[in-house]
Amino acid sequence: MATGRLQNQPAESLRKQLALAVKSIQWSYAIFWSISCRQPGVLEWIDGYYNGDIKTRKTIQAVEPSADQLELQRSEQLRELYESLSAADTSPQAKRPSVALSPEDLTDTEWYFLVCMSFVFITGQGLPGRTLAKNQITWLCNAHQADSKVFPRSLLAKSASIQTVVCFPHLGGVVELGVTEPVVEDRNLIRHIKSAFLDNPYPVISKIPHYVPNTNDKDIVVCGLDDDMIEANFEPLVECEDVKICSPSNSTTGFEDADQQAQNSHMMEGISDEACHVQSWQFMDDEISNCIHDSMNSRDCTPQTYANGEKGVPLSNEETVNHDFKHDLQECNLKKLDHFNFRSDDAHYQGVLSALLKSSHQLILGPYFTNSDQESSFVSWKIERPQFVQKQGAMSQRVLKSVVFEVPRMHGDWKLKSSKGYGKRESIWRPEADEIDNNHVLAERKRREKLNERFMMLGSLVPSNGKLDKVSILDGAIDYLKELERRVEELESVKEAIELEARTKRLQQEATERTSNNYIMNKVGKSRRPVISKRKASNVEEIEAETNYCTLTERSSDDLTVRVINRNALIELKCPWTESVFCEIMEAVSKLNLDSHTVQSSNTDGTLTVKIRAKFKGSKVATPGMIRRALQRVLRKY
Amino acid sequence: MDNPSSAQEPHLRSENSVSHDCPYPIYAMAVSSAASHHNRRRRNIAVGSFVEDPGNRVDIFSFDEETTSLKPIPTLSFEHPYPPTKLMFQPPNPRSAAELLASSGDYLRIWEVRDSSIEPLSTLNNSKTSEFCAPLTSFDWNDLEPRRIGTSSIDTTCTIWDIEKGAVETQLIAHDKEVYDIAWGEAGVFASVSADGSVRIFDLRDKEHSTIIYESPQPDTPLLRLAWNKQDLRYMATILMDSNKVVILDIRSPTMPVAELEKHQASVNAIAWAPQSSRHICSAGDDGQALIWELPTVAGPNGIDPMSMYLAGTEVNQLQWSAALPDWIAIAFSNKLQMLRV
Repeated sequence: MATGRLQNQPAESLRKQLALAVKSIQWSYAIFWSISCRQPGVLEWIDGYYNGDIKTRKTIQAVEPSADQLELQRSEQLRELYESLSAADTSPQAKRPSVALSPEDLTDTEWYFLVCMSFVFITGQGLPGRTLAKNQITWLCNAHQADSKVFPRSLLAKSASIQTVVCFPHLGGVVELGVTEPVVEDRNLIRHIKSAFLDNPYPVISKIPHYVPNTNDKDIVVCGLDDDMIEANFEPLVECEDVKICSPSNSTTGFEDADQQAQNSHMMEGISDEACHVQSWQFMDDEISNCIHDSMNSRDCTPQTYANGEKGVPLSNEETVNHDFKHDLQECNLKKLDHFNFRSDDAHYQGVLSALLKSSHQLILGPYFTNSDQESSFVSWKIERPQFVQKQGAMSQRVLKSVVFEVPRMHGDWKLKSSKGYGKRESIWRPEADEIDNNHVLAERKRREKLNERFMMLGSLVPSNGKLDKVSILDGAIDYLKELERRVEELESVKEAIELEARTKRLQQEATERTSNNYIMNKVGKSRRPVISKRKASNVEEIEAETNYCTLTERSSDDLTVRVINRNALIELKCPWTESVFCEIMEAVSKLNLDSHTVQSSNTDGTLTVKIRAKFKGSKVATPGMIRRALQRVLRKY
Repeated sequence: MDNPSSAQEPHLRSENSVSHDCPYPIYAMAVSSAASHHNRRRRNIAVGSFVEDPGNRVDIFSFDEETTSLKPIPTLSFEHPYPPTKLMFQPPNPRSAAELLASSGDYLRIWEVRDSSIEPLSTLNNSKTSEFCAPLTSFDWNDLEPRRIGTSSIDTTCTIWDIEKGAVETQLIAHDKEVYDIAWGEAGVFASVSADGSVRIFDLRDKEHSTIIYESPQPDTPLLRLAWNKQDLRYMATILMDSNKVVILDIRSPTMPVAELEKHQASVNAIAWAPQSSRHICSAGDDGQALIWELPTVAGPNGIDPMSMYLAGTEVNQLQWSAALPDWIAIAFSNKLQMLRV
């Protein structure tokens, strides 16, 4: 049947030869391409041997096969899988024959091997085509980076980490070898392979009978392999003569049939003398390789389901064993591959891969959807379903619109920024917002903005406990007002006492504590804090400086106020600026067990102004006097 | 979270669904990709309140597939400034010990979900010029490159973050108007939808160009949400403002949608592709329905009918169909979080 086997070599011996050759140099795979008997001038897959990493081993053998058998069997199983998948693709109704492997059992390299089966090359094109035309060895070192014109499968190779690919003419066809490592060109290697394994027309092993499945003979040939099966293998995609020619761009009506047509167009291409599959892979193949490398973590053989001595159980997708994330990931990756085609007219990979993957997904999903009323919360859709009546005046997509249109604009920071004139961008989005929203929404938003603004003002007036939401602001304001009222009362009485004792008692500590108290008292009733309070505070200082000359004369220029409410402290001070004074202040503050959450400092004309909001860390709370004294100690040094 | 008591819970629960009433309306929602340490059938679900106010919060529930139960985890609850516009757990990552949760709003925030607490890990601000960042409408975590998060903003840009470095990888002016949603397809490829009515695809290796693959029929009808089919990257779905349609796009045939799903009786609010199938999608809308669609091989003359439906009774605002819980669809309507068996 195949011209590639002119020498009348049994197919098994060809595979065996390939196997020995590739194993002797420990490469990943060997493929024999030869002229198709159906399409003269076109190279197609004749046989191949896979020697790379294996992810999941499955078998339908009744008896555990030997290692060699396993290896040959793997190549056979891959071929079967490809057959079954492409059969399912060309005739969707056809039931997929049960095969040992399912798509999720394959490594990336195996995928590469499998997808290669779908390729055909015109003489002079692609790596095998050129090798045959020139009748010389082609050694491609950076296969994964090669230009797609030179090596159409470069992206696939990249996904499978195939780095070196070598083709050489053999028996009127081409032998292709590939490996996942970079290998420098070495003609001797090829010579060695040719002479040792391939050119021997009757290798020793080919004489070994191939129907001895149940022995443990090391050199045994794959079981169940016969010429018929090979025959079947040689019925690739090209078979469909009745396909209609459709351009992929028409395929917008449905889903499955888009693939179908893509596939068909590929076939037509193969038949006519179109070029082989030159892809435009320039679209982000780096990313592909990244993601695929991620998924290549489970390379090593994990013999998973030996049907040891039991009756063989064909594993189809319904019984997917290792349906886990790795599998998902790998499938995703493969999916991704075909997405990269979208700029290219050639939908080859797309056809193959989507066919492979599609048929497997359906099955996973199937059971739930078919008898949806058994377990599912969802019921079958019926036309006579309850008629939905839109509520009068209800805005459609209310929450969704609010989330995308309004919530982003609620953030005060953004408003602050845009009001600062953030430039062109603002003019881009502002008017647009108004177009989108109707008047009601607009008015509502303005009202809310005003409210939020007032809340922010209120929030800045009361000591915050770190929370900025409205309830916390109001709570803070209530507490603060109560506290202030209490203080006013307290201080009113203290003040009377002070006035009485002022001329007789001159106790420093009390006076300093009063400083802060006075400050607070003075502030009550005035809404604006920062400016006024500072002035008031310094007034107080001056008064005290007159009375308490023993403590404050040295530093009469200091402007120091300390306020403690509950566990929060506010410290404001001014002093002449020197390099280290600020650090010392901060150090002193932290020594007092204070955890400063806001610190504002400025240096104008040699005067350092510091404002610290802090919280007491431990259970011990220092009195304003203690804080004051500690800070004064620092300031006195300067 | 002190309700509901276990006494009132049973009537909310059945074999195939479970609900929980929150004390606030909810919008954002995310399903954890990591199973609980204690029970592999248990997963965390994060829910963000929707109160148009600064005071919002995110609560975490533990959902048990086995017993179909939903329990709040009071220790895993935190305050959030304004409603989170989106929540998302990190993609599956066997290496990381504690799971990460991201939220968007004023900034992109990353939280670390520990066994009994949630700690803020970082607040990512994309503005180089100011300490403020244009608010974010949405974001998407790249599941192939888990250090990458893309955010979409009302300032017309999309920002790609490297969250391990806490640095901006790139910022693109993606659209002419506000960007409302973003979705990764590839490690370096994302798409976004905008108020300008277009769906655009970007490739990080070629930042100069973008591909417009769809524009809304009436010019400038904003597109609000976008979902990229992770099982088959040729397909994505988007929804329009004030429209009952789910538009299915094939990136190979730009401008012409491959299908329009029009059986909702009011506007659509949320869409999610099936995590385990390339041909199924769920949509939910103001008509109170969640519909599962199977995209047909050939569209019939009367349009495409959904396969199955669920009636929530009131506007469904949120929908999640996670690869971590492929048999369950999570929906949110008014104050309710509901898990539905598919």
